[in-house]
Amino acid sequence: MIRVVTLDPFDDKQLAKFNRTLYTAFGVGSEHSGSAEVPAGMSEPLDAEKLMDEVQGIRSYKDDKVLLLTTRKLKDRELPSGVAPTAGFARQGKDRAILTIAPHKDLESAFKAVTRHALHQLGHLWELHHCLDPRCSMYPPWTPSFAQGEAIFCTFCREKSEQKIRLAKS
Amino acid sequence: MPEGSASLQLAVGDRVVYPNQGVCRVSAIDVKEVAGQKLTFVTMRREEDGAVVMVPEGKVLSIGVRKVASAEDVEAIFSFLRSDSDKADLDWKQRARTNLDRMTQGGIMGLAEVVKGLQVLSELRPLPTKERELYDNARHLLVTEVAAALGTAEVNAEDAIDIVLFPPGRERPKRTAAEFQREDGDLDLDSDLLGLDSDLDLPSDEEPSEPSEEESSEEGESEEAESSEEGAPKKRGRPPKAKTEAPEGAEPAAPKKRGRPPKPKPEATAEGAEPAAPKKRGRPPKPKPPEAEGAAPAAPKKRGRPPKVKPPEGES
Repeated sequence: MIRVVTLDPFDDKQLAKFNRTLYTAFGVGSEHSGSAEVPAGMSEPLDAEKLMDEVQGIRSYKDDKVLLLTTRKLKDRELPSGVAPTAGFARQGKDRAILTIAPHKDLESAFKAVTRHALHQLGHLWELHHCLDPRCSMYPPWTPSFAQGEAIFCTFCREKSEQKIRLAKS
Repeated sequence: MPEGSASLQLAVGDRVVYPNQGVCRVSAIDVKEVAGQKLTFVTMRREEDGAVVMVPEGKVLSIGVRKVASAEDVEAIFSFLRSDSDKADLDWKQRARTNLDRMTQGGIMGLAEVVKGLQVLSELRPLPTKERELYDNARHLLVTEVAAALGTAEVNAEDAIDIVLFPPGRERPKRTAAEFQREDGDLDLDSDLLGLDSDLDLPSDEEPSEPSEEESSEEGESEEAESSEEGAPKKRGRPPKAKTEAPEGAEPAAPKKRGRPPKPKPEATAEGAEPAAPKKRGRPPKPKPPEAEGAAPAAPKKRGRPPKVKPPEGES
């Protein structure tokens, strides 16, 4: 089950559409599971890793994947080889990911790009790596063409995610 | 011999890399008796999923177990991945062999070479399924080792690698087969790179088969033709076949058909002779027994047990 938890107010209709897209992509249920508060003392741009660890009040079952959705900007990560633009963050094989819709105001104005990013982060939760196919949602998200693509997976990534989901269910 | 394994002294708690398996932690080194022999076993537990493997101490080096790469090694990996390498082996057999060696014996640099090589190749054409799987495995092993070496999360290690491979704000270049041309002029192209996939009706995700003799001879012809046209700009795809000049008045030759040539038809023995009946397939019919003229046709053979013989009347 994918649980979308909002850290800021969002339109319910847009969230329902967003959940339908996630359901179509992964074949598992997706729902809006309420909202949570950003921990006090954290200012924009938010540190994605810290926020994910510190956010409280999220209820989920063992195999659930939680996607935190915010309108606030996330801080770019300093990595040994350079700076990684961060529109979202997810640890491989874990149960929690975070995604921002910034610089867009709401889901509607950038629905395709946001859902593509959501698929990317949720894909990491199901242990998918970055893909070579520019049409796939697992393509590195900082490339210029990423936001223009559809929220879909390539055959390889789709089959791998389906396999991981099947293993998690059994 | 894998790099960095010349003097491998293992102790409990060490992090090592088991080729093709990933980062493991040595959980025990103990002596066990197997078939009357006392052997020292190194027990390793894979960090990813906790799978346990026991290896005799004497086999550790030959298997290719090595220590986790250092931060300096990772820096070397980044600079290698950053380099604008366009070297990719276009011979799939050679490539498969080299990649297998790199995965098992090449150390972390071998993994990086596999990832880089297949990424460069994917800029020319989509990878076949097997190579896509190999790419994913190599990437997974590289990411886990870089994460272990830098002491960071896997996702950060992967992003660090991909920032180098896919620099932000830049699209990947599209490559052509001509870019992979060797310096000696030998293209060493596979049939699929020459655009023969559609002709051969090969599934795109299968390994291409070796070009047949017919094709190789055709290629030989085309190479000869190419050599005669020096200085002309090279075109992509299969070069046009050299046209043989037909004598004037002669009919143009029929286009050469591909595939197995048809079997030669047997010539008729004499003019006006009836053509032979087409050969029937399957088991030939049983020969019928010769029947006497005027004799009644034999009753059909009954199946089952024969009827009991009735005793002659008058006997008691």
